[in-house]
Amino acid sequence: MSDKATNSMLRTLLMRTQHSSRLWVALAALCVGTTLLLLSVMIWWNFSELLYGKNQNDSLGSTFLIIGKRVTQQNMGTPGATVFLLSEIDSLKSAPQVQDVGIITSNHFPVYAMMGGQLQLATDLPLESVQDKFIDKLPDDWKWQPGSRDLPIIVSSLFLNTYNYVFAPSQGLPQLSEASVKSIALNLKVGEGDKAEIFSAHVVGFSDRIGSVLAPQSFIDYGNKVHGKPGQASAPSQLILKAKDPSDIKFSDYLQRHDYETNTQNLRWSKIRAIVEVVASATGVLALLLMGISTLVFILFIELTIARAQHSLTLLLQLGYGPGYLSRYMIGRFLPMVLGTVAASAIITVAGQAILSIAAKSQHLELPSIPGWPVWAALFVSTAILVSLVTRSISSAIKKH
Amino acid sequence: MHLSLQGVIPIPLREKVTANKSGMWNTTLSLTKGEYVFVQAPSGTGKTTLIHILYGLRTDYEGNVKWSDSALKATGKEELAMLRANNISVIFQDMRLFPELTAWENIDIKRRLTNTVSEQQAHEWLERLGLKEKANSIGSTLSYGEQQRVAIIRALVQPFDWLLMDEPFSHLDHANIDKARALIGEVVHLHGAGMLLADLDKNDFFPYTKTIYL
Repeated sequence: MSDKATNSMLRTLLMRTQHSSRLWVALAALCVGTTLLLLSVMIWWNFSELLYGKNQNDSLGSTFLIIGKRVTQQNMGTPGATVFLLSEIDSLKSAPQVQDVGIITSNHFPVYAMMGGQLQLATDLPLESVQDKFIDKLPDDWKWQPGSRDLPIIVSSLFLNTYNYVFAPSQGLPQLSEASVKSIALNLKVGEGDKAEIFSAHVVGFSDRIGSVLAPQSFIDYGNKVHGKPGQASAPSQLILKAKDPSDIKFSDYLQRHDYETNTQNLRWSKIRAIVEVVASATGVLALLLMGISTLVFILFIELTIARAQHSLTLLLQLGYGPGYLSRYMIGRFLPMVLGTVAASAIITVAGQAILSIAAKSQHLELPSIPGWPVWAALFVSTAILVSLVTRSISSAIKKH
Repeated sequence: MHLSLQGVIPIPLREKVTANKSGMWNTTLSLTKGEYVFVQAPSGTGKTTLIHILYGLRTDYEGNVKWSDSALKATGKEELAMLRANNISVIFQDMRLFPELTAWENIDIKRRLTNTVSEQQAHEWLERLGLKEKANSIGSTLSYGEQQRVAIIRALVQPFDWLLMDEPFSHLDHANIDKARALIGEVVHLHGAGMLLADLDKNDFFPYTKTIYL
């Protein structure tokens, strides 16, 4: 029965409002509402990905903080006053918002760095090490074994910036890119006297999180054991914390109470995260509101169409057309409009994610190029609700006849 | 398929019906398929109401109307649609065409419901009733007489056990009445169906087997 001629006659009888400008306005509003909803979920999800995702994006940093004990007039002369005791480390592990605590081990042996060539740099160099899981961008060749002369090191991005923007211009030295720094070899003299060893160090990465020079844990352990000064305290004076939300007042209270010090600039990202969450939530609420209103307009439009076709509808039912058949026909007319609108929103969102991913790359952040499951879940749920509302409104409007 | 009525009284006509003796209202009546029933009904006695009740368009009545064993009042909308598409056909007094469809489309929209009458056959019937030239005219532009003939053909392009007719020839001249009743007679006979024709005055349009005064 559902051949072309029947459909064309039913269209003449039932779909008199199909080309109404009101329909396009309703569909456009529905599209904007759905797109906003998907985008707000997408923004929220992207930010979660940046902060909690598996990608190496943790230089957003607010979740990682380096703390030390405050140096005061009273403790500045006392050796070991600013080191962390085991009990303090344990207590920190259960502090509010703290998810993980890492020990920053520093070198207790002399390290002297020498660079030949044009730069002619020679300096004492403090080294530190930290468990790999606390390193923001872990380089592939981040390992060292006793006996190896090659030593990978990670340098704070701050050092390179200080060199490029402060030191080099003032000394008339060339500025260096990350790649060129990686190609430079440093000679490290470790230890003193006859026991001294020379290592060829090369920069394999830059860290936004750690403000010093990092060497693999195995190297620092080896150096402290072989070249360390006897009696030197082995307790750490700095810790790295992985905190869920460092902007939590309980967390900052805890730090203050124990007189721990951290870089308050690190809290910047958590503030931005809070803002993004507010913006995403506000957009989400607005999107839901807009979607609700546009769905209502669309359903009213459907009811208007059915009301206008009342005479034809009544006569069709009198001639023997079943309400189910007529409902299916109307649903078949309106559903593609809804699905087309939702598909357009999905395409806009996918394009948005691709653009965001490219934009993020230029900021050295990694974001997936297609939206994640929460976006698809939001799309699925909103589509299901829309389809069910449209289907139900058509069926019930036809049943009234 | 037989039709039975038990104590049917249309609520708006209750006073009138109970005051007068009627062969249809407030009585028990059984009609079997194949019967040709003429219902003679002076103006205001509920002729159109009767057709609408039998066709399931009205439920504001007391008593019971049954098509075979199913009570019309208890019949669901889908079931009613099936009944109208396959078992009971009707020619309304007010024709009830779609004004926005052509004469042919008005017939075709009914024909396509069951596809039991071929397109060619329907065109032949249109020609027999003198509507060949009007096939593509929009319903609203047809005269009453033309509309009535379209309504007659529309009622015939479906399978049926009973054909209900409410003053089916009221807008037709004698020549057209003859053509129309010949066609109706043939098709009703072909289906072995029954007919129930309600009109104001006595007539001999068909060889009635029963006459009922409303």
